[in-house]
This record gives sequence, structure tokens and C-alpha cells, in this order.
Amino acid sequence: MFRKVLIANRGEIALRILRAARSLGMEAVVAYSEADRESLPVQLADEAICIGPADARRSYLSAPAMISAAIVTGCDAIHPGYGFLSEDEGFAEVVRAHDLAFIGPPPEVLDRFASKESTRRLLGGFGLPTIPGSDGLLRDEAHALEEADRIGFPVLLKPSAGGGGKGMRMVRSPRELEAAITICRSEARAAFGDDSLYMEKWLDDNRHVEVQVAVDRYGHGVHLGERDCSVQRRHQKIVEEAPTPALSPAARAELSEHAIRAVLAAGYENVGTLEFLVDREGNFYFIEINCRIQVEHPVTEMLTGIDLVATQIRIAAGEPLGLTQSEIVPRGHAIEFRINAEDAGADFRPQAGLVERFMSPGGPGVRVDTHVYAGYEVPPYYDSLLAKLIVWGPDRPTAIARSRVALDELLVDGLITNVPIHQALLANEAFLEGRMTTNLLDRVGGAAFLAAAART
Amino acid sequence: MAGRTRRSTPPDSRSSDDRLVDHQAIDRLADELLPALMAKLGASGLGEVEVREGNWKVRLRRPDAGVEAAGAPRRRSGDRPSRAQPGHAGHGHAPAAVETHKSGRDGKAMSSGNGAHPEPREAPQPSSPGARRAVATSPAVGIFNGRSDLRPGAWVRAGDRLGAVDVLGVPQEVVAPVDGVLGVNLVESGDAVEYGQELVLIELAGVTSGGGHGTPAAEP
Repeated sequence: MFRKVLIANRGEIALRILRAARSLGMEAVVAYSEADRESLPVQLADEAICIGPADARRSYLSAPAMISAAIVTGCDAIHPGYGFLSEDEGFAEVVRAHDLAFIGPPPEVLDRFASKESTRRLLGGFGLPTIPGSDGLLRDEAHALEEADRIGFPVLLKPSAGGGGKGMRMVRSPRELEAAITICRSEARAAFGDDSLYMEKWLDDNRHVEVQVAVDRYGHGVHLGERDCSVQRRHQKIVEEAPTPALSPAARAELSEHAIRAVLAAGYENVGTLEFLVDREGNFYFIEINCRIQVEHPVTEMLTGIDLVATQIRIAAGEPLGLTQSEIVPRGHAIEFRINAEDAGADFRPQAGLVERFMSPGGPGVRVDTHVYAGYEVPPYYDSLLAKLIVWGPDRPTAIARSRVALDELLVDGLITNVPIHQALLANEAFLEGRMTTNLLDRVGGAAFLAAAART
Repeated sequence: MAGRTRRSTPPDSRSSDDRLVDHQAIDRLADELLPALMAKLGASGLGEVEVREGNWKVRLRRPDAGVEAAGAPRRRSGDRPSRAQPGHAGHGHAPAAVETHKSGRDGKAMSSGNGAHPEPREAPQPSSPGARRAVATSPAVGIFNGRSDLRPGAWVRAGDRLGAVDVLGVPQEVVAPVDGVLGVNLVESGDAVEYGQELVLIELAGVTSGGGHGTPAAEP
């Protein structure tokens, strides 16, 4: 086991890692930027060291600053948290070159899973379904029609050179296809200088479901069930829960077993998450793998009683997992609410400033992970996550009822937060019936969503 | 220190005489006005100070007072960062944090002890009579190496190299923020230092001695 770990992150996850390190009997050093001098993890740490200015490129994203900080404070391991340097295989490599341990997958594993496209091919080869698509590029209209018939309408035309959703077009019927291809090609030519197109199945009203896995260095791995992260705004998750209301117990088991089999075959190591889209019929399609601890990991911890951050550290230290699949028995239902400093009524604009009062909710099954306290000044430089409220109940209705109480108790004065969005969500019929899809919020926008909830 | 010297009128069609006058003005502003302004900015707790003289305007802003650091890159899921480059930290670090003696900014270096904030170190008091000082701070986290040929009492100019902080074998220069006389080193060579830590004291020029330097700008 490690003796002393450098925490190369900030906010609530820095505190979460600090707690895990201490519970394992390790010392921890928090590396912080000038903007985070007054943050809670810095105050609670055994040691804290300033690594650079507020600009993340010169602090939390600076590999030399982090490694230098670890060396001068006598650490033997670095925990990167999520975001920042957490999935940077180059960083992991340099950490190892300085005889430090990177708490996460080894660099060659990060490298293997670095590209989305090759990861889909790799894991698809090990039995994970991926979104059905054309066999290579579309040659002409006849070929496109043939492929669309095989995949099934509606389909999505995508420029091969594209990215960020540019030049994509959804086609509902064979009649629309010819015109759509012409428009799509000219748009692609204009935007990317390349008019080659391919085709994917269009997934309407999809759900986002992910599977948590943990694999040790010796090839022994388990899954810890799934999480439903369908409640999003602009492709950013704001509520996560488990189990997913979208799938039957049998379908959930099948999804998780598929996931762990594929990553074991592909040689994954440490904790990780496989993300899937689930369509209306319950078919699931692999999208990507996250090679790190995730924001929403507490949902799984509440259900399984397993400390995922401690597990991550132990695996990185070379310990065997010490868990078998049959020992993991998820219990009840958990929901996580990301409490963000943002104004849902004004396009989710992020907020910064002084937290005048702060009160955490409590009671059975209520957990709050936060770096915020009354008098804390939220800096404008980083993400807007203030706290994670995780609520557990023996079943979904109880978890929802407890969540309402907890959100009412939670008090953040001085900043606008997204608590009203969460409260509106708990009054939303689609959410209450477990029918939420990834476009639930974006279809109407934050302000309209709030207004609709106020009317009911 | 984000100091800017700017001419109020456009610099078009100037004669060589004009240019000479300009250069002299810039030299004088840099030698006399800047050190005094730095001290004033440090003592005031203000974020920005501006002085006009003739056609010239000098504005000084504390490195942490601006908002230019907003919009640090956000990571989207699916994005992968570029490969980390070893051995590059603290490019273009503004070397001069003129002493601000606000407790929140006091160099809290690698504090030990369970959650306890260390007592704020007694900061040099720029406002006390005859003790106008600036401090050279660390541009990075690493190991400090002072220049062995510089002793307390030596005369240095703004920008002079006072030592370096070694970051994974790559030295990051520690430079004098102002003209002045070297005071004591606040850390020893070989010590581990953090970013922004106070390293070397400098008694400001033009304040403790007249020595051919003009008087500082009038007190407000």
C-alpha cells in the first residue's frame, strides 16, 4: 500500500479522495491553485501545496507542477480524480518515469482506450453491441438506400471528417434519402473539405445507462451494476440513479455481464465505466469507456456498500480485488443530484461568488459530498459543481420522497443554484414514472422546464 | 506585474528627436515611477493604480486582480488531453508579486498539522517608515537554488536573476520584481518551495536612499 498520496484535483473529489486515503491509513497532500487556497480540502489536508495560478493549464493541468509537488512533499502516489489529468496517458507515463504510482489504469491501458473509435471496434469485437451503421462510407444513392434498408429507418447521415454534430442529418424515409445525401455532402464539403458520408441508426428518445466495473492487475474483475444518467442538460449529467428504471432486472444483469466480459477480454485494469445508449425497445449500444472514477460513483457505493475510491487505490497498489461477483449485492435505490452554481432560468449560466450560508440536509440514507461551507467563495475559473446530494431508499418511491425532503432542507445562500431544477424534476411526470430520456430538459430548456413545474 | 506604458496620442509620423524624448521618458518612468508605484499598489490593497504624466500614462495591475484567467478549459467527456510534456511549468510567470500583506495571500507553505492554518507570517510592512520592501516569489513548485554570488546588501535591478526553482530538473528563474537592495533570503538553497512562496526580500530603491533616483510620486 502507498504511504502518502498527492491529490491532484480540487473541489468535492479532492475531499472524497482525502477521506479514502485516510481510511486506508495513508497520508495525503492536497495540491491546489492560488484560487483554491481557502477551499475545504486544503484546510482539512495533512499537507497542502500551492502548485500554480488559477489558470488550470498552469496548475491542475500541469503535469510537471503536479509531479514536482509530489516529489518535494515525499509522496509515492498521485490520485488524479476526474477531469484534468485523470485520463491523460502521457501524464500517467511521466508519473511512472518518476517512480511514482498513478492511481488509475496503467498508461498502456489508457493508451489502448484513448480513441473512441478504436475502443468501439475493440470492445465490439469482444461482444459489445455498438450503434448499427453502414459498412464503411456511402458510395452512392443506391448503396445508401441498401444500407438504410438493412439498418432500418430512421437513420443518421454523418460526415466522415466531421465532429461536434456538424453536418449531421436525420432521415426518416427512403423518399427523403436522396435529397438529404445531396445537402449533407455539400455541407460536409463546405465545413470539412471532404464530402464522404457514413450512416448510423438514429436512436430516438434514448436513455443513458452506464456500467461500473473494477478489475485488478491479475485479471480478476467484477461489475457493480449500472447507473441511469439520462437526466442531462446539454449532454452534461445532472441526476444519476440506480438501478435504471429503463430495464428489467434480467436486462440489467445481461448488460452488466456483457460489459465486464468485454473489458476483461480487452485487458482493462482498475475501476472504470462503460457508457451505453439504450433505445425505447431496451436495446443497448456501447458508446465509450471512462478510465477513471466518475462524479456519480457514490450512487453505486450507496447500493453496494463498496468504497470505490479505496478500491481504486488498492488496485493501483497491486492488491488483489478480494471480491467475487456473488459478494456484490446491490440493495435499494439511490439518486444523486448534482448541485451546481448555475442559473437554470438564464441558460444555465455558471455563477461565482460568496456562499453566505450553507446547510446540509440529513436523515436516513442522505449523503452530501461537498467542499462548500458558509463563507466559502466559489472561484469563477472551474466547473460549477458545488455539492452532490445522494439519497438512498429501499425502493425508488422512498428514495424520491426522501430526496424531496433533502432538497428542501439544503440551503445555499448567496449564489443561484440548480436546486429548483431538481425540485421541478421531482414533480415531472416522465421522471416520476421512470420514463426520462436524455432530451427531457433540452427539449424545452431550463426556464420552460421550471415554469411547467410551477404550474402543476 | 502587468505594467503597461502607453502614449495617449497615436505614434504616427514622429521625428527621431521625438523618439529620443520618448525613450528618455520610458527610461525615467521605468527607473523612478514604477518602483514607487509598485510599493504604493502593494501598500494600498488596490487591484490597479494609474498615473498620468504629460502624454504618458502608466497603469499597474496586480497579477491576480484581472479576470483574464476566467474560462479555464473545461473537459468534455470524450475529450482527451494532449500528451503531457515533462519539464515545462510556469511559462511567463509574472515574477513580481509586490507584497500585499493580506492574510489570505500570505505564503502558506506546505503547512503541517491537522487542518490548522499556520499563524500568518509577519509580512513585511511596506507602509512602515523606511521599510518599503518587495518580495521575489517562487514561479513554480520545486527546489529553490539561490545565487551564491549575491549577498544581502547587493544592489539589484528589476528583472535581475536571483536564483531558480528547479522543477523536475528544469530551472525556473526567480527574478527581482523591482530595483533595490537585497535583503535576507526567506528560504535556504535546497529548500522545497511552493508556487507563489516568498523567497527573497528587496528594499525598494528610491525610498531608502536618494542615490540619484527621483522622489516617488506624491502620496494620494
